[in-house]
Amino acid sequence: MKKLSAILLALIFAGNIFAADVSIDFSTANKLYAEGKFTDAANVYGQILGSSAASPNLLFNYGNAEFKSGNLGKAIAAFRRAELLAPRDSEIRANLAFVRNQVQGATVRESFWQNWLGNLSLNEWTIFAAIAFWLTFLLLAAKQLRPALAAKLKSAIWIFAALTIFSGTILGVQAVNHFSKQTAVVIFAQATARSGPFDDAQNAFAVHDGAELSVLDRRDDWVQVADGSGKIGWLQNRLVEILPGA
Amino acid sequence: MVAKKLKIEHIISRLRLSRLKLQIFQVVGFLFLAALGFVPTVASAANFTASLDRDTIALGEQATLSLTFEGGQPANLSMPQVSGLQMNQVGNSSQTTSDFNGHSSFVTTVLVAVIPRQTGEFTIPALTADVNGQQLSTAPLKLTVLKADAPPAAAVDSGNEIAFMKLSLPDKKIYVGQVLTAQLQVCLRDDVQNFANFQFTGQPADGFTINKMIQGQNRRAQIGNRTYTVIPLTFALTAMKSGALSLGPFTASAVVVLPSQNEGNDPFAQMGIRSPFFSGEQKQVTLATEIVKAECLPLPAENVPADFNGAVGDYQLTATVGPTNLAVGDPVTVRVQISGRGALDAIQLPDQSALKNFKVFPPTAKTEIADQLGLEGRKTFEEIVTPQNSDVRAWPPFSFSFFNPDDGQYHTLTQAAVPLAVHSAGASVMPTIAANKNSTAENQTPQDILPIKENLGTLETKSIPLIAQPEFLALQSLPVIAFLAAFIWRKRTDNLANNPRLRRQRAVTQLVSDGLIDLKIFAAENKSNEFFAMLFRLLQEQLGERLDCPATSITEADVDRRLIILGASPATLELLRELFQLCNQARYAPIQTRQELAAVAAKFKKAVAELQCLNP
Repeated sequence: MKKLSAILLALIFAGNIFAADVSIDFSTANKLYAEGKFTDAANVYGQILGSSAASPNLLFNYGNAEFKSGNLGKAIAAFRRAELLAPRDSEIRANLAFVRNQVQGATVRESFWQNWLGNLSLNEWTIFAAIAFWLTFLLLAAKQLRPALAAKLKSAIWIFAALTIFSGTILGVQAVNHFSKQTAVVIFAQATARSGPFDDAQNAFAVHDGAELSVLDRRDDWVQVADGSGKIGWLQNRLVEILPGA
Repeated sequence: MVAKKLKIEHIISRLRLSRLKLQIFQVVGFLFLAALGFVPTVASAANFTASLDRDTIALGEQATLSLTFEGGQPANLSMPQVSGLQMNQVGNSSQTTSDFNGHSSFVTTVLVAVIPRQTGEFTIPALTADVNGQQLSTAPLKLTVLKADAPPAAAVDSGNEIAFMKLSLPDKKIYVGQVLTAQLQVCLRDDVQNFANFQFTGQPADGFTINKMIQGQNRRAQIGNRTYTVIPLTFALTAMKSGALSLGPFTASAVVVLPSQNEGNDPFAQMGIRSPFFSGEQKQVTLATEIVKAECLPLPAENVPADFNGAVGDYQLTATVGPTNLAVGDPVTVRVQISGRGALDAIQLPDQSALKNFKVFPPTAKTEIADQLGLEGRKTFEEIVTPQNSDVRAWPPFSFSFFNPDDGQYHTLTQAAVPLAVHSAGASVMPTIAANKNSTAENQTPQDILPIKENLGTLETKSIPLIAQPEFLALQSLPVIAFLAAFIWRKRTDNLANNPRLRRQRAVTQLVSDGLIDLKIFAAENKSNEFFAMLFRLLQEQLGERLDCPATSITEADVDRRLIILGASPATLELLRELFQLCNQARYAPIQTRQELAAVAAKFKKAVAELQCLNP
């Protein structure tokens, strides 16, 4: 029992120490940013992110530091990751829109519907659909247990059943987007997509830093992408950062 | 919690049992088939060979690599990476069984399309694979890829060529950075019935960048002694360097359909109508153009404007600045629009970072293309600047220079200075937009990124989305189970409510159960009168329920008259008679001992158990 308590305490303190370290590093990076040392700040933010923990604010600041360092692609990738964690954060959206405006050339943008669906994260849509599903079946069960309440419950059951179908459909779409669609963000100033996954394949088209491209296929160190104008080509993995679709 | 765990363990053990049964079934099935001779025995050693259908092909054609595995299924086969060759598996592997000297063996064939990307001699290295537990390898294979040549003019004029391509450049001076159009003509002989799967296999360009390509209207032309259908393809090029440039040879492959040999006897074909009986012969053709050479001139070194930054083409300039009435530090949007013909993507705004009294933020650029080739359109730059002090009186004149290859001269477009009224930061003057009043975009576009956040916020570790977590998905079965349980309960309740006989049966069972306890108590307390009154009532209730008649109407006579019909045994009847008689005797001889009363209660219990077994 004593051993278990000691292990639990050690784990709790280890978590606190980790959080404290991250907090110190975060403050250090903020200070570097305030001093105009944007590249150094981006490195420190990046190190924190490398420790497998992330928060919307951390990704937001990292995006700012990368943008100020002139890395549009890395900034866009960071803001998009932040948006996945906090989809309704207006500051993240504003900075993402601002950085996207700086990007040259064709790029893939979300449609109106994708933007609308993106107001909730995949987990939020999942919880919404689950609540509607639970309430529908619990109301159906209540109707069986108390037939006298059937008339009163009827409209509520229909409403929650409709909500279940609606949210379930959207959840399906979002899940497909998340698991099967990916976006590649170009993180190099200038990159050339090739017609095949070879170094000596013919040039297909040029892409600029920050261009967002749909991922069609992946093979070894290459990723097949399509830009907003329908051009298709292969880029080396190191030239892009891959993001989930939703 | 423990019950849930036990339940889960029970489900898991049942699944394991099912899987074990399946495995046993598979083994037994296999042995059974082997006994019947349906499963071929491994008679010979495993073998793995690789072969090419051709060892020499032209660029644009493809060869087929056949991988044959004999004596077992291949495993750990990896495709070799050969620079300049692309290899794609064609369809699924095919499996056959071959017999040799009475022994059967599996032969698995995998076909791989080998598509060359350049000319040269290539070696496909030895391939290795595990077949039947043995690691086998093939011999290396050589493939020669030759350049596809354009057909000679004599062959074209004679009409022998089914299809060919011609590439041409405009006959005029070309300057570095100039965007021009070239034309590629795909010519198909008049007897080509169909043309499909056209695919470029090579578009070499030395000193040019190839941009968009569009297809024009087909036309017919007399070339030599045959009529050809000409498909014009126009594409945009950008000259990237001065000196000798070359374009081509473009190579492509396509599939054409030609009249069948037997079609000549077909009456429809003789009347000039496509035959419904013959579908023609498909033929893959490789097309190639000549190399087209051009001389590219450098931009003139004389009269180069100071602000020239490499724009080549023919352009117009418009610019707007607003708001013009503002405070120090307020943002001003400078919108510059350059429209015309040329390499719009390459146009850059002249560097203005050195402007005094203004802080200049990086501009954004948006290109709108007006034609299909992307040669004409407009590029709009939006730049946010902030005046740094109230001495600022105007946004300085703005100029943009370009080289026009049509007249071979530099041109400079200028925009006059825009007056600004800049107040000190303390003054609260409402900004007004003097220029470009119709536009609202600048009000919607953020003017700089928002500052960083001071708080770290809640840290989240990377985790699997809820929808992919099995525990979460399993949890969703709970409301369904709750609904099903409620549904079953409702059905049972409704069934009971609609069946008075069943309801009475349950009520009597409960009454007798409670009555037996009372009987034991009365026996223990030696209350003979209460004991027999209770016994008589219980006998009436139980028999009334079995005989489906009112309990008060039950007498000893009913035992003989009606219970026999229900199939009661003589022993049961005798027991019931005895119990009725004891009840009657108790009225005038009530004194009984505790033991005797307990024995009567036991007899009643036995009688009731036998009665409840009767089927009414």
